[in-house]
Amino acid sequence: MYARHEVKSFIVEKFAPDVRVDELDDDYDLLDNGVVDSLALLRLISWVGDRFEIPIDDIDLTPDHFRSVSAIDDFITRFGAVPVRK
Amino acid sequence: MLLDAFVDSVGRRSMESPGSPALYFGDEVWSYRDLWSSATGVSDRLRADGLRPGRPVGLLAAKSPDAVAAIIGAGLAGIPVLLPSCSLGDTALHALLEQTGSSHLISLAGRVRPGAPIALRVERTGGIEASAARRDRMAGAPLILTTSGSTGSPKIVPLAADGVERFFGWAATEFGICADSAVLSYAPLNFDLTLLDIWTTLWAGGAAVLVDQDRAAHPRYLRELLQARPVRVVQAVPLFFRLLAESGSEPFPQVRNVIVTGDVLAPPLLAALPLLFPNAAVHNLYGCTETNDSMIHRIRSFDLAPGTSVPIGRPIAGVHAELVDGFGRVVTGPGTGELLVYTPFQSDGYLDEALTADRFVTRFVAGARRTCYRTGDVVRRDADGRLHLEGRDDFHVKVRGVRTSLQEVEHVLERHGEVIEAAVVALPDEAAGHRLHAMVRVGGSAGPNSLRLRSHCSAALPRTAIPSSYDIGAQPLPRTSTGKVDRNAIRTEHLRLGA
Repeated sequence: MYARHEVKSFIVEKFAPDVRVDELDDDYDLLDNGVVDSLALLRLISWVGDRFEIPIDDIDLTPDHFRSVSAIDDFITRFGAVPVRK
Repeated sequence: MLLDAFVDSVGRRSMESPGSPALYFGDEVWSYRDLWSSATGVSDRLRADGLRPGRPVGLLAAKSPDAVAAIIGAGLAGIPVLLPSCSLGDTALHALLEQTGSSHLISLAGRVRPGAPIALRVERTGGIEASAARRDRMAGAPLILTTSGSTGSPKIVPLAADGVERFFGWAATEFGICADSAVLSYAPLNFDLTLLDIWTTLWAGGAAVLVDQDRAAHPRYLRELLQARPVRVVQAVPLFFRLLAESGSEPFPQVRNVIVTGDVLAPPLLAALPLLFPNAAVHNLYGCTETNDSMIHRIRSFDLAPGTSVPIGRPIAGVHAELVDGFGRVVTGPGTGELLVYTPFQSDGYLDEALTADRFVTRFVAGARRTCYRTGDVVRRDADGRLHLEGRDDFHVKVRGVRTSLQEVEHVLERHGEVIEAAVVALPDEAAGHRLHAMVRVGGSAGPNSLRLRSHCSAALPRTAIPSSYDIGAQPLPRTSTGKVDRNAIRTEHLRLGA
């Protein structure tokens, strides 16, 4: 749950700089709306892997894991090793 | 309806050489027996569901063996198949189904193992049939493709049966595609490029190696795929080769023919090609959905001087190409003009007659009438007679290989209730070719943010046409002294801010 804010900050900073963190809804479709394109997806996956110590290469990833902030949050909760704090 | 020659060829192969591979996808190998068995299952199912021969259906599916089997199955049932882009917004998708009078929208409910009954989802559209003239054209079309659809309502292109059959013959001979050849298919299923890498390959009895669209930007996946499968022919847009080159890929000596298509090849990437494919002939291929391939250039020099470009080359046998300058005069020698082409592979025009009249024009070629297609591309002919792509008219750019109309993106933005005016400019981008930047004037200070404008665009435009950055404010757009929106000022200001 606490990962959400951090994920939102990353996405807003990198891909939607005009938007405030609280304006990005948990369920906003990042892929269909083009916020995260295929190359940005690689950056996002790599950041999530590094930040939350997730062995990305060993997981069968699908774009749906990164479709929205809640999906990414679920993914981190499921695979993440690092405890996240507010 | 699928070509008789295609159905005969694939059907015969499934009996004479049932175990030969037809499709590779991930760890799966689909033999011709598997493909035929799944396809005939689809055909039986669609007939049992009451779908009528001759009335089109839309098939919305990412590239997979299941989707290929579904297309062949519908063809066996005599049902014309419209292939919309999977990234199309709902509004645009429904406009396509309506214009073609499609009775159903077919999608896949999941993947199945090779040869099993395909997990079809068949939904009624409730739409009414197209006019008799349009029905006839679609009934004879091996496939119904669309242009990239930056317009919000992509143009519908029913392919011509005789043209597709001639294309199969040409492509198989030119690139050595035969029984036992494996051909890499990188583009999404709805792209005209699959006429070569999937449909020519199956027609010739070879195997298509399907790139999973979800992983098409992962260099490691692409490298492993090329190592794991006996790929002899590779067709892809420059982005694919860039991903391989930048990830420090080892060479692929088994590849014999490399086809680069869909976008301009930058010099640094060009130099990487002979290292990646040391034993391959490398071709630059130029074409479009309306006419299929028209120009080819065999690349022999991989070291380009700065400021020069890889030619699109010369017309393929049977192709007529002419350049028309700004005054409507034909450029006969060296010079620059809009490229008009006639190809033996071309469609008879768009489904919409008015759109056809705008782009397909009658020319006299050596005393005979020929229907030529106005490509909208500005092309230069050099002293050796080779053609070079100079660019498009100002309002069309390619984003990830997809032709995109800036004006249509602007029109979509301006349909948003809170938007007063919008301008969209294209900026060069190393990976995508171009990326789009939108400057938007909204009423008042509490207008939409970029997320809401993106959602608005994604309902009507393909993903590549959604601008990747936004400048949203209440001030009017900058204008030139003649009152036109000053796109250069917008571009310069955006670059100055370091975005």
